[in-house]
Amino acid sequence: MSAVAVAPSRATVPWSRLGWVTWRQHRGALAGCVAVLAALGVYLLVMGMQIHGAYSRLAACHSNCGALRQALMSYYGSQRGSVLSSGINAQTVPFFLLAVPVLLGVFLGAPVVARELDTGTFRFAWTQGAGRTRWAVTKLVVLGVLIAAVAYLFSSLFQWYFSPFVAAGVTGWFPMQLFGNVGVAFAAWTLLAFAMSAFLGVVLRRTVPAMACTLVVWTVLDVVTMMSLRQHYLTPVVGSGESPPGGQSAWMLSQWFAGPGGQHISPGQIPLSVQESPSPAAFGNWLASQHITQWWSYFPGNRFWTFQLIEGGWLLGLSAVLMAATVWLVRRRAV
Amino acid sequence: MKIIESTGLGKRYGRTWALRDCTLSIPGGHVVALAGPNGAGKTTLLNLAVGLARPTSGAVRVLDGLAAGSPEALDQIAFVAQDAPLYQTMPVRDMLRVASYLNLRWDGSLAAERLARLRIGLRTRVGALSGGQKAQLALTIALARRPSLLVLDEPLAALDPVARDDFMQSMRDEVAGSGISVLFSSHVVAELSQVASYLVVLGRGSVLVAGDVPSLEQSHGAGLEKIVLQYMRSSAVAA
Repeated sequence: MSAVAVAPSRATVPWSRLGWVTWRQHRGALAGCVAVLAALGVYLLVMGMQIHGAYSRLAACHSNCGALRQALMSYYGSQRGSVLSSGINAQTVPFFLLAVPVLLGVFLGAPVVARELDTGTFRFAWTQGAGRTRWAVTKLVVLGVLIAAVAYLFSSLFQWYFSPFVAAGVTGWFPMQLFGNVGVAFAAWTLLAFAMSAFLGVVLRRTVPAMACTLVVWTVLDVVTMMSLRQHYLTPVVGSGESPPGGQSAWMLSQWFAGPGGQHISPGQIPLSVQESPSPAAFGNWLASQHITQWWSYFPGNRFWTFQLIEGGWLLGLSAVLMAATVWLVRRRAV
Repeated sequence: MKIIESTGLGKRYGRTWALRDCTLSIPGGHVVALAGPNGAGKTTLLNLAVGLARPTSGAVRVLDGLAAGSPEALDQIAFVAQDAPLYQTMPVRDMLRVASYLNLRWDGSLAAERLARLRIGLRTRVGALSGGQKAQLALTIALARRPSLLVLDEPLAALDPVARDDFMQSMRDEVAGSGISVLFSSHVVAELSQVASYLVVLGRGSVLVAGDVPSLEQSHGAGLEKIVLQYMRSSAVAA
């Protein structure tokens, strides 16, 4: 900042300098995001070490391991009753974490353009030599990459924390409260919230309404994805047998009965005496005697990473579209 | 050189024309005063000239034919918007660095010397500066960009009389001999005559008169202040 730098014609402001401006303006929000994740991370780290300790003792055990298994499961929480009434444990923590991506994304993303419009500083920012296009592109790319990277690190920590329960066969990674918190999904959902709130910030021109709108739209999209979209990523596998195929790691979609000719048998056609028989074998024996087969449709556990990549892919694509639309709106915005 | 050339320039907000059929050709090398009552379209014209607004009709070119808001135009035009919007939470030092990093040309020593002369501390938060200091900081940032054209929207509006006098003095000192053209808007008539060498009067969205001050004074047989008042009155009567 000491001498007059005479720039050659047609030169442009370097990206690195725009990157510094982005960092200077948003470092507070970034630090807030990191602080929240660090606090949650300390909890996951402390509990995770205890859970891994309990699991390694169970894994080394060869006989009479009931007490050790119970010790591991004490971190998981009660299997009975309402999930939310059972306190903070490995069973409930994933549900709370489902809300983290949208909170991070909104906190960082909504002010990116909206605060400049709120406070009038866009009249400074957009009349500098760098121009508003490079300004907007730098902000979205730098902050988007940073928040996605931080989110990915955090979800890796969660995955480590939870992994003993999967290794012990308690559950697979497919349940919705786990799927969104591991792999690339957590980072991708965070990036979507960031891009969506930046976009709505230009549309609504105000920071707080952009935050509120994103919370609603993002949550609806997340719930629809969990409830009805995710299961259509791939064609399910169909298998038969008395017990669910694929074990705990599989994602079970549906189960039905079919007679010898392939005709559908409704559960009502199965006598109550068989359904309520105390003997576990009675049910299977009756099915066999009637030549009825029990069918299952499911996704095997080894499809999990394909699912993660599909979800990460479309979320990344949608985020990129929203960012491009944000830049386009910034270019078009006129007072 | 022409700093602003417009033909049939108009800007409509909803049903209201803020500026209508504005045809101007302002030569370079002047301190141009854009006068007129509130709501005359001054801010609209300046926003169009710096590319913050887009015309509803007609066109505006700056600095010998550059499109308003184009990269070449942004590079050479320093704009200080009304109330000098800057980042309130940053210390002055960081605000300067942000401005320097957003531009190709930056005269850091000019900025440092001016702020030292004005006794504006580099560690002070922008939000803690007085109105006059904030206006001076915004002017410093604009000058450090070494622009060909300096555009100021109501730079005096928020200032007390002493700060106004200091600001006008700064403007005279910085512009004299630097070759910078200045375009500033004001509804404060008395101050215009101190610095302006070219006058444009707007009223109700239209250009009432435009010309260099000596020839206007000669043709009207009156001082600048009287001329401005006369046109502003006639526009009010017509309303």
